[in-house]
Amino acid sequence: MLEEALRHLVAGIVDHPEDVAVSERNQRRGKCLDVSVHPEDMGRVIGRAGRTASALRTVVTALNDGRGVRIDFLDVAER
Amino acid sequence: MSNETAEPTLLDKEGDAAADYLEALLDIADLDGDIDIDVEGNRAMVSVVEVNKGELRHLVGNDGKILDALQELTRLAAARETGERSRLMLDVAGYRADRKAQLEQSASEAIAEAQRTAAPVSMDPMTPFERKVVHDVVAAAGLVSESDGEEPNRRVVIRVS
Repeated sequence: MLEEALRHLVAGIVDHPEDVAVSERNQRRGKCLDVSVHPEDMGRVIGRAGRTASALRTVVTALNDGRGVRIDFLDVAER
Repeated sequence: MSNETAEPTLLDKEGDAAADYLEALLDIADLDGDIDIDVEGNRAMVSVVEVNKGELRHLVGNDGKILDALQELTRLAAARETGERSRLMLDVAGYRADRKAQLEQSASEAIAEAQRTAAPVSMDPMTPFERKVVHDVVAAAGLVSESDGEEPNRRVVIRVS
């Protein structure tokens, strides 16, 4: 559910929603989600001073019953 | 076309885009919520109303921190649809409505104190939106108020005149 929720949250705010992909990695210290977006959308998902990235982490953590989720942002070229 | 007729259209579009974004999120998270769209002042006001009491509380968070994050994302989603920066207000489970009622109550108490003592009364630090609620109550009561101090400690001071 978290992957899909994050994919939706990101796809709704970028110019290239078709390029948004989310994959989950399980780490020893909990969940980590990798989000890849079109290179032109990178600035948009990070936001000024990381504001948007931080809002995404806050909402996804809330949906995970308050357990912290790490989110890494990649552009599609890095995938 | 004049501004007065163009504005509601933009707010409607904003509200609709916000509702779509939130509705799909609730669906994915398997949460129930009714979405109301309204216009308050010159802003779109989008409220997610609980169907089952307490079910959406975790989307509000302490001091509305999670609600603010969700509002930020919803504004971006609305802005992408309209092409204009969005100032919409989001409420979840009546959090902002309750907070507003509390603020109006404490503003009334502070007004009464200012009238009784004829001295300036300083309120607790508040966000810009909360201060606006207080300023409106003070103005309606015919007193004067101003904001004093720096964020995040900026507060409203109420005077009789």
